Amino acid sequence: MVLLLAIAIGSLFGGAIYLMLRRSVVKLILGLVLLSHGVNLLIFVMGDGVRRGAPPIVDAQGLPPPGVADPLVQALILTAIVISFGLTAFVLALAYRANQAVGTDDLDDMASTDRL
Amino acid sequence: MLIALVLLALASAPLGLLARREPRPLIGWLLALIPLALFAGLCSQLPTVLAGGRVDAALPWVPAMGLELRFALDGLSMLFALIITGIGVLILGYAGFYMDKDPGLGRFLATLILFMGAMLGLVLAGNVLTMFVFWELTSVTSYLLIGYKHDYPEARRGAQQSLLITGGGGLALLVGLLILGQAAQQAGVPATEAYRFDAIIGAGEAIRQSPLYAPAVWLVFLGCFTKSAQLPFHFWLPGAMQAPTPASAFLHSATMVKAGVYLLARLAPGLGGTALWHTTLILVGGATFVFGAIVACRQFDIKALLAYTTLSMLGGLVLLIGLGGDYGAEALAVNILAHALYKSALFMVAGIIDHEAGTRDLKRLGGMRAYMPITMVVAALALLSQMAIPVELGFVAKEWMLEAALESPQPAPLRFLGLAAILTAAVAYIVAGWRLFRNVFLGQPHPDVLQHHVEEPKFGMLVAPALPALLSLVLPVGFLPLVSQFLSPAAGAVLGEPLRFELYLYHGVTPALLLSLSAIVVGGLLATRERQIAALPGAPAWFNGGLLFDRLIDGMLAFATSLTRRTQVGRMRAYMLYSVLAFLGLVGLPFLLFGLGAVRVGADSDLHFYEIIATGLIPVGILATITARSRLGAIIAVGVVGAMVSLFFVLFSAPDLALTQLLIEVLSTVFLLLVFSVLPARFESLSPSWVRWRDAGIAIVFGALMTGLVLATATSELFPPLAPYFLANSLAEGKGANVVNVILVDFRGFDTMGEITVLFIAVLGIFGLLRFRRQVPIAVRRSQHAVIPGAPVGGAEAATPEEEPVKG
Repeated sequence: MVLLLAIAIGSLFGGAIYLMLRRSVVKLILGLVLLSHGVNLLIFVMGDGVRRGAPPIVDAQGLPPPGVADPLVQALILTAIVISFGLTAFVLALAYRANQAVGTDDLDDMASTDRL
Repeated sequence: MLIALVLLALASAPLGLLARREPRPLIGWLLALIPLALFAGLCSQLPTVLAGGRVDAALPWVPAMGLELRFALDGLSMLFALIITGIGVLILGYAGFYMDKDPGLGRFLATLILFMGAMLGLVLAGNVLTMFVFWELTSVTSYLLIGYKHDYPEARRGAQQSLLITGGGGLALLVGLLILGQAAQQAGVPATEAYRFDAIIGAGEAIRQSPLYAPAVWLVFLGCFTKSAQLPFHFWLPGAMQAPTPASAFLHSATMVKAGVYLLARLAPGLGGTALWHTTLILVGGATFVFGAIVACRQFDIKALLAYTTLSMLGGLVLLIGLGGDYGAEALAVNILAHALYKSALFMVAGIIDHEAGTRDLKRLGGMRAYMPITMVVAALALLSQMAIPVELGFVAKEWMLEAALESPQPAPLRFLGLAAILTAAVAYIVAGWRLFRNVFLGQPHPDVLQHHVEEPKFGMLVAPALPALLSLVLPVGFLPLVSQFLSPAAGAVLGEPLRFELYLYHGVTPALLLSLSAIVVGGLLATRERQIAALPGAPAWFNGGLLFDRLIDGMLAFATSLTRRTQVGRMRAYMLYSVLAFLGLVGLPFLLFGLGAVRVGADSDLHFYEIIATGLIPVGILATITARSRLGAIIAVGVVGAMVSLFFVLFSAPDLALTQLLIEVLSTVFLLLVFSVLPARFESLSPSWVRWRDAGIAIVFGALMTGLVLATATSELFPPLAPYFLANSLAEGKGANVVNVILVDFRGFDTMGEITVLFIAVLGIFGLLRFRRQVPIAVRRSQHAVIPGAPVGGAEAATPEEEPVKG
């Protein structure tokens, strides 16, 4: 199953990089979304093994099920999912506002906003 | 005691600001009480030091790394510390008069006192790291003092050159000292002590055998040669003459520039004795000695003339360390003292002439003997000492120098090279000294100068150079045994073993005496021709270290500017491309070359068909996102990818993640739909097709690399997993059965708080972006402020008016 995850991560990263190299703001944002998926899965696979059907929930005696999944990476990813959502929402608002001000979604046309 | 002395000097620096008030001229002598107190404090330790003892003091900081504030006072440190504080007294008093009309006197004196504290720390340091801190502090204060008249471009240039050169040398020195500490540790010195001077010297035998020796010595050389203005780094010292004269007299003749000499002398017992050490020092020191002395004969500015003799003498001192032996160490101590006395006096006299006559140009001065006879006597006393005329201290010092060359343990060619350098420089010193004296005090003055009211300076100003000039004569005539007793421990520290020597004025007809006298005769003959010597054609104009250095700096800046222009194009995707290519180069290449063996594709017996379908749908969804022509299609495709990622979490034991991911996915889709509704409905192909294919190629390579990296590392067990700790303690410590939740709210609670803060900031940002949309758009506002230089004025994109904001 590491192979499955590896393929998923590779295609997520590849797609994200391609989209982020485009000139359209919309594609940049879509690339960002894909990149955060890729990173989350990367953290996931770096934990203490990937398991099926053994979520990290302990019983009344405090004992985990046999072959339990790594709870730490899951906690980290949970944080990462929420943060990347915050980031996506902010970038979307920024694109919305930039579109109002500049009237385009082409990043090259926005280059002038960097210059002072 | 020692720590208190250094701290007192540093902490009293702000007192210099008092000089902003009245009584103006005398405030300098009042402030001179600070170095006087330090001088007295040092003198109270004289009995211990003269008996061959050492005073130690230390404050540990990070003992395990050998970092500590350690001071040690032995003969060599004492010699330098007394010169620093003693001349410091005179300089502070003198500066009050010299700059009596200067509104910046307070700032100047504060920096001067700060420098004195730093210099004191440097020569008292007992740990190389402690010493380095003060070393850099002297560079910085020297920079401030040279650039004191910062309205003048020449002063800024001189300050910048000196800082770049001594600072660059300082970096080399730091690395050299760290290597020395490492070498000492390899020789068996514990890490806590490895950076102490005595430990490095004690382990000298082993360090000299170590392969680290040569790089360490070269780096230390670089630091010392830049600081002490040795060839080819000499040119910053004449440039430093832009500093006010009291600073030149103090920093750039008597004290700071000798820091390099001090460090070489201090390390000589540990690092000396090798061919590398002695050959380099004799060649570099000798060349600087001769070069400075000859160039000095051709100067027209008094301070420039003195600056070249100073850098020449620094070369002479380096040469003496190179010559080595008993006489080398003794001659070094005598010459340091003699030079500090006569050169500080000469600089202060130069300042007096500048102050009274309004110029330092030898072509315009002359006839000053009629106006300032006492100054003339003071100048003559100091000059005679520099010219090594009998019974002056400089004469004794020069004779010892000749002895050092004659008795040097180095092989004959090096010894004779050193001897030739000393004799050449001795002759040139007489020419340069006579040139200065004759053109200032004899002959007729230029009419311009006489428009100034030229007269003898005030007593408070004259006494400062008079004292060291008088000492140059009185010490050898009356107090040679005392001087010898004082200098013996200093020479002993340079040699590395206790030493007792007696200076003398006349000790029968020796080769050294004959050589010294013949140098005086030849010098005297040449001196009568000093005008013709000065008029001889010199080196071509481009052959000027300062100029070449400026070109180097300019070229570096131009290169950096053009590089920035080419790479910082202002386009996101260009920066993205750099990052991706750098990653491919720095991670991808090594992985391809060395890491492929770690890739493991394990067989999986439990593989289910729906897992394969979920995995397969991810690349399909991504391809659909990329190729979508409408925004709705792209949003749907991204949604499919997100759903598949959630499915992964369901399949692989992460129910919390699956839930959250699904929720976020729904929210994201709503947001995307909201925002994309105002953006263009269809995607256009903005980039040409070759760019798209190039990017696709890069993206595919990147994705393949990530897949390979995951396969190579996912099963690695380099580190023990942290999971068991959380699983075992979740119920017991966190009172919760869902371990992921317990980690979030308990074990890593602060992390979660940070996350909430980030979200809150994002919300604030979004609110701000949407709420203030009715304001004047950025583009229009900028065109109103088009006065900014370099800004595109009235460009097509800058004038685009804002579209009507969307209502709702």
